[in-house]
Amino acid sequence: MSEFAVFDPHPVRAGSAEDSADSLDAARSRSPLHDAASPVSLTTQERAGVLLGERAFLGHLVIRGNAEDPGFVRGVEEALGLELPVTPMTSAVSETARIHWRSPDEWLLIVPGGEEYRQEMALRYALSGHVAVVDVSGGQTVVTLSGQHAREVLMKSAPVDVHPRAFPVGRSVTTCFARAQAMISRVGEEQWELVIRRSYADYLWQWLLDAGQEYGVALQS
Amino acid sequence: MSQVNRLDAGRMSSEHIDRSSTLSFTHDGRTLPAYPGDTVASALLANGVDVIGHSFKYARPRGVMAAGCEEPNAILQMGATPETQTPNVRATQQPVFDGLVCESVGRGRSFIERQQKALTGLIGKWGGRFMPVGFYYKTFMAPQSAWLTYEKFIRAAAGLGRAPTVPDADTYDHMNRYCDVLVVGAGPAGLAAALAARRAGARVIVCDEQEQMGGCLLDSRERPDDRPAGEWLKTTLAELEAMDDVLLLPRTTANGYHDHNFVTLHERRTDHLGDRAPAGMTRQRMHRVRAQRVVLATGVHERPLVFANNDLPGHLLAGAVSCYIRRYGVVPGQRLVLVTTNSHAYRTALDWLDAGREVAAIVDARAEPAGTLVDEARSRGIRIIAGAAVIECRGDDRVSGALVAGIDIENFRVTGETETIACDTLASSGGYSPVVHLSAHTGSKPVWNDRIQGFVPGETKQQLHCAGGAHGIYPLVDVLADGAMAGGDAAVAAGFERVSPTLPGLARVEESPQAALYHVPHTLATMRAPKQFVDLQNDVTAAGIELAIREGFESIEHVKRYTAMGFGTDQGKIGNINGMAIAARVLGQTIPETGTTVFRPNYTPVSFGAVAGRYCGALFDPERYTAMHRWHVEQGALFENVGQWKRPWYYPGWKGARGANGEETLQEAVNRECLAVRNGVGILDASTLGKIDIQGPDAREFIGRVYTNGWEKLPVGKGRYGLMCGEDGMVMDDGVTTCLGEHHFLMTTTTGNAAQVLDWLELWHQTEWPELEVFFTSVTDHWATMTLTGPKSRELLEQLTDIDLSRDAFAFMAYREGTVAGIPARVYRISFTGELSFEINVQANYAMHVWEALFAHGEAFELTPYGTETMHVLRAEKGFIIVGQDTDATMTPEDLGMTWAIGYRKPFDWVGKRGMARVDLQRDDRKQLVGLKPLDGSEVVLPEGAQIVFDPEQQIPMTMVGHVTSSYYSATLGHGFALAVVRGGHRRKGEHVYLPQPDGSTLSAEIVSSMFYDPKGERQHV
Repeated sequence: MSEFAVFDPHPVRAGSAEDSADSLDAARSRSPLHDAASPVSLTTQERAGVLLGERAFLGHLVIRGNAEDPGFVRGVEEALGLELPVTPMTSAVSETARIHWRSPDEWLLIVPGGEEYRQEMALRYALSGHVAVVDVSGGQTVVTLSGQHAREVLMKSAPVDVHPRAFPVGRSVTTCFARAQAMISRVGEEQWELVIRRSYADYLWQWLLDAGQEYGVALQS
Repeated sequence: MSQVNRLDAGRMSSEHIDRSSTLSFTHDGRTLPAYPGDTVASALLANGVDVIGHSFKYARPRGVMAAGCEEPNAILQMGATPETQTPNVRATQQPVFDGLVCESVGRGRSFIERQQKALTGLIGKWGGRFMPVGFYYKTFMAPQSAWLTYEKFIRAAAGLGRAPTVPDADTYDHMNRYCDVLVVGAGPAGLAAALAARRAGARVIVCDEQEQMGGCLLDSRERPDDRPAGEWLKTTLAELEAMDDVLLLPRTTANGYHDHNFVTLHERRTDHLGDRAPAGMTRQRMHRVRAQRVVLATGVHERPLVFANNDLPGHLLAGAVSCYIRRYGVVPGQRLVLVTTNSHAYRTALDWLDAGREVAAIVDARAEPAGTLVDEARSRGIRIIAGAAVIECRGDDRVSGALVAGIDIENFRVTGETETIACDTLASSGGYSPVVHLSAHTGSKPVWNDRIQGFVPGETKQQLHCAGGAHGIYPLVDVLADGAMAGGDAAVAAGFERVSPTLPGLARVEESPQAALYHVPHTLATMRAPKQFVDLQNDVTAAGIELAIREGFESIEHVKRYTAMGFGTDQGKIGNINGMAIAARVLGQTIPETGTTVFRPNYTPVSFGAVAGRYCGALFDPERYTAMHRWHVEQGALFENVGQWKRPWYYPGWKGARGANGEETLQEAVNRECLAVRNGVGILDASTLGKIDIQGPDAREFIGRVYTNGWEKLPVGKGRYGLMCGEDGMVMDDGVTTCLGEHHFLMTTTTGNAAQVLDWLELWHQTEWPELEVFFTSVTDHWATMTLTGPKSRELLEQLTDIDLSRDAFAFMAYREGTVAGIPARVYRISFTGELSFEINVQANYAMHVWEALFAHGEAFELTPYGTETMHVLRAEKGFIIVGQDTDATMTPEDLGMTWAIGYRKPFDWVGKRGMARVDLQRDDRKQLVGLKPLDGSEVVLPEGAQIVFDPEQQIPMTMVGHVTSSYYSATLGHGFALAVVRGGHRRKGEHVYLPQPDGSTLSAEIVSSMFYDPKGERQHV
């Protein structure tokens, strides 16, 4: 392990159990959207055509490796209990985690907050050869987007076909989003998730509220 | 006067206006009534308004001529308020809403006459109404210096409409769309194509630029399935609307057809509703459509005939007259003369009769006109004058008669006697030009078709199909079948199976061939006859085109530019083909030999707002924030843009600092911040630095190849400064890279270059050294970075960390892991200030907690936040460069005096080594980085960018030997100082240089070492 410096970013809390999922310290954390302003007036959930929310403080790990190496594919699957998606723009999901194909040798694993260190260790034990695992949890966040006009908001934002014929549930596409980037995932019939970078979060939040305004926007509880 | 030209209710069953309510609108200060469904043009005609403006060159009265986007005359300035001004709105496409305010852009005859008087005063005998083609080119060429005088007069006289003077009150947006088949045009061909494509299973988008879909079906006399055309239209639209995956976009113009079947549609969402868009709605929307296949069902534009005084109000396109009668119940006169080259236009005379008005004559250029409509006209007793044309229009502000004569088209001359026929309306049809614009956008050259006397789309590289009139198929029965075929073809090409729609039964309307007449001969030669207009918007005449050719402009592109034909907002939609025909005749060649000018996007003018979309104001470009941004804002920081990042620039008045005059200036704040760092402890939010995680067995090797210095011996736990060069040997980035593990490094880059450096690494890895096992991942946003710096930084940090900070345990350039304020952190001993420094990195979600804890404990040490300005001063005092400020892509590491950072003997030829070895880069008189100490007093700060000379007495042009790259006042040193590049500077230490100033004074400075403060580096090693 001395080849790599694996870092647990979460503080150990007094009295917390050994379970690492518990080590996430939300009280001392601020998500990328903590300070995001709302330039448009919001409506109620019932009347909203677009619902926006944040799934903050999740664990985000970038995994790099050779998809043609059966050892790598098997190792990832053993460590995560998830099939490694090797088809472009797909994802695989378990009860607690989701892994997204991002490029031919790159995946994004999203796990419950606080688990990223344990998952990285598990991956590093299971994998050998030339691989990389990088914790990027502090650098991005997940925005949830739903409602009957969610698709229109995406169409205003990204040059990717989000029609049900072209974008089935489970699809995951990294693309331009307004003047920034996002990974767009369709996680349910009308449920979408965006993975966005921390430093662009305020801008994209404003963009999304603006794009949704004509349909009525509410915050997802 | 109230709607004098409106037919009685019920007279035209085909009309599409709603007579149950009345709207009112204002044109040129007059309030007029209209009905919902009217365009401004139909309403003006209904109210008997003949003159809608005056032409901009000759100040001739002009009226409505067309009914669509090709309209050259009825161009309006619209908007009731300064915030809603829209110039150059086509009255023929603008629906009337209650309260609409518009005025003519022609600015009236008096304005133009004043302008021309001004021009006459300026240039003598020219001016007025006698400006020939090429007038401006000929008159204003010399002397060149006089252009500035001419310009303001010409600019004042030129152009149409007024640009708004205040920001637009409305918003605009974009929508990305995909489909299997995009159908442009919802006339019979487009609708049949859409039906066929959708029934086959394709996702379909149909756009049409008019208020209502239907195209020619809206005013057709034909009866599909023996019912009025409008009924088949209604049924078909209802069927399409009810289908999934069909998007119908009326009021939407396909303006550009770009590569890869990317088509931009411009939807006017609220222009028909009011002066301002309703709350929550964008006024216009750009649909960015990526279609698998495109069906162009764009139809045709009718051509007017070119005859003398053909610009008089009351002369309209034949099709436009039918349109106004049948769609709007408006007959723009009492007594009609129709002049035509084809049988189809006879419908206009029949419509006119149906409206209960009188048809004086149909003048047909063909010797033996025949066909279904011709027979009907004969049987209804209309006088038909065959083998003749209207050679001149009579009247002052409105048509009062038509001068008719027999013509010999072949020999371009008038035959026999002329006859004047009294009339108040003249309708002309010179044939039809397929709308080939969008097809031509794809690079396809239009091809001449003799049968229809028009250009049709040529071969194309794009995945497109043409349908109906757009490629010269005119009889309605054929158009419907052709549309269905094209839609089916498109669907099949997109991977679906053909399902043909049932088409309505329809009898074929027979027509005899049309005559090839464009420019009607006159009894006088073209140059002597009254003006025969080709391009009405730009006042280009047949005589002008003939003159241009006599003067040697033979290429149609040259003729266009010399005469300005097609330069107007209508882009010559109705005039250009006639112009080409005239050029062809004069040149003695055919029209296809003459060719067309190039059709470019956009098809019709587009509002800038629609181009910008929501990318304006706060959404124009992202602002990137660090995890501590809110804190900086609350502390009153002013911000500097670094790339897209907002970085604190300085913190004026922090903790009540007041400066000499009550409000701290930039210099006072920077002095305070600098002294706090040098004497106590300061903190900088350094989160914006680019951070690249590098993993892999070959990470060390790779880093050695992209940095100039050596990396073989860097141990785990230590960092090193690196310089990155382009292949040319010029410095492109710098930063500290730390060895976290044998196969694991963290590279930092300058804030502005982070993305480019990552791209650069990937470029070399993917294209040159794919065999190296290494992965790069940006972690810029993951880590928040706080630089604690100053002699008291250790003492402060000790209170918050479990890391042993002692000099022996934690040496300069090392890194340690531990906790800071209870949060796991990586701490680096890196210094950009020359002081004892600790760079604290924590996962960004915890950053505010740590930052606030540092300030809570920092109270006792007067911990001071500082911004980029102080950072710049502190680093410059140490001679540390900023890439992009002290370098400009022409500086090698050697020019910077940084040979200590060059690994000349590294085993692998690192990027830039060979470039740097070029002879010219080895000259010893290159511009080299030095320090400058001003000699004119301690308060003097040399201006950044100031040019440097060795000899202040030299005559201009002086020999410039360098320039100041960074310059500041140093509160620590007590004087101004600068970094500069000076020719051969490294061996000129101690010499004096001079900096001539714009005000004539000259500053002087001494060349010194670029390290002004603590040259031995003792302060950072404590």
